[in-house]
Amino acid sequence: MEIIELPIEVLKEASWNVNQPNEAMLQRLRSSIQQFGFVQNLVVRYLGDGYEVLSGNQRLKLLREFNVSKVPCVIVNLDDAHARLFAQALNHIHGDDDLGLRAELIREVLKTIPEEQILTVLPDTMVGLKGMATLGQGTVAGYLQNWEKARAVRLRNLLFKLTSEQLPTIETAIDRMLPEARRKQGVSPNFRGTALYLICKSYLEKETLDDHK
Amino acid sequence: MISKISLPREGAGSNPNSALHAIQLIPISQIEARNLLVPNHYLHSLPGGTKLSLGIFLNARLLGALTFGVGPYFGYKIVNNAESDDVVTLTRLWLSDELPRNSESKVLGIALRSLKRDTSLKFVLAYSDPSAGHFGTIYQASNWLYTGLSSATALYDIGDGILHHSRSLAHSLGSHSVRYLTSQGIDVKTVPQSAKHRYVYFLDPSWKSRLSVSILSYPKKELE
Repeated sequence: MEIIELPIEVLKEASWNVNQPNEAMLQRLRSSIQQFGFVQNLVVRYLGDGYEVLSGNQRLKLLREFNVSKVPCVIVNLDDAHARLFAQALNHIHGDDDLGLRAELIREVLKTIPEEQILTVLPDTMVGLKGMATLGQGTVAGYLQNWEKARAVRLRNLLFKLTSEQLPTIETAIDRMLPEARRKQGVSPNFRGTALYLICKSYLEKETLDDHK
Repeated sequence: MISKISLPREGAGSNPNSALHAIQLIPISQIEARNLLVPNHYLHSLPGGTKLSLGIFLNARLLGALTFGVGPYFGYKIVNNAESDDVVTLTRLWLSDELPRNSESKVLGIALRSLKRDTSLKFVLAYSDPSAGHFGTIYQASNWLYTGLSSATALYDIGDGILHHSRSLAHSLGSHSVRYLTSQGIDVKTVPQSAKHRYVYFLDPSWKSRLSVSILSYPKKELE
């Protein structure tokens, strides 16, 4: 395997490169190079008028940004088809992270590196990172007991299917009862549900009165 | 539904029995369950109405998941005077081939004991799809009761390239009534589905007498 430092002017991006990261991903790559340096050689082949990059097209863009003059490259001698196949292989042959092990690793990293800095190089979100950091930390008993408490107090759905003609009548009645519902809300945080309850209660009370007449 | 495991298992460690004892069930989020189940479970989906999701860990590695959810709308009616809150359905179970033999039984045992101890649930339902070659071997090994083939709910084809479950169709269109949808000019067809083997496990054994359907002998895979 031949590794050689080539002037950046002789390197050109492969026009057939299918890997097209968005700006957010490029920014992470930029941050990674800034934090850790340029540590991966490009893979190139000679084409007569320069060297085509098979692996490292995005890194090449950033190296130009950073005004790097010489780039360490691995030179391969491949025809068009094999060059394309090799580029695909380089991009796609990798394992999947075991989520449990990744969670342990992230927890270890978080002990010394703040979340904000981690997110400059990892394609994740703050919520995702926090979730990953807590993976595998709970107990089934605590989880089920919380679930049991939550379902005991959850508000119940009562689902109606209404036609376009029926819906405005119901909506109008609920809207009219809303001020009363806000005053008599009780423990329910749902005003519209309380409004519907008050309408039905009022109807039933009226029906009872009518029965006694 | 259990994702079929066809490859022979290597013990996760030098002693499969000690590996079996080291298996832990730990709660995971639905997102993590989805990330694991969609690529690995044979149905490649996580159903709506998932209530509980548990990860299967061995030596800190997440090597499987099981989820419990609402299941069929009237599933609870096979038990007299039961309400929908009395039951959950085991909706997905997938274990990596890296786990040792008999891990399924071990995992189900832990899950059922936990549900019994820490919830007020009375029973659990599970279904096996014979059209996928599944007969519920794991439920049979764990002494669930077999209640025959459940009547399968048809799926709905409204011409968008997706077969819709009645629940998702009602969610998106407000109804899964073929008569109503047809009357509104929507071309909807029902696509029959194969019936599934239904198993029930009573967390509260005193509820077993309320079972309103017959207990049948376990189905066996026909020899070819």
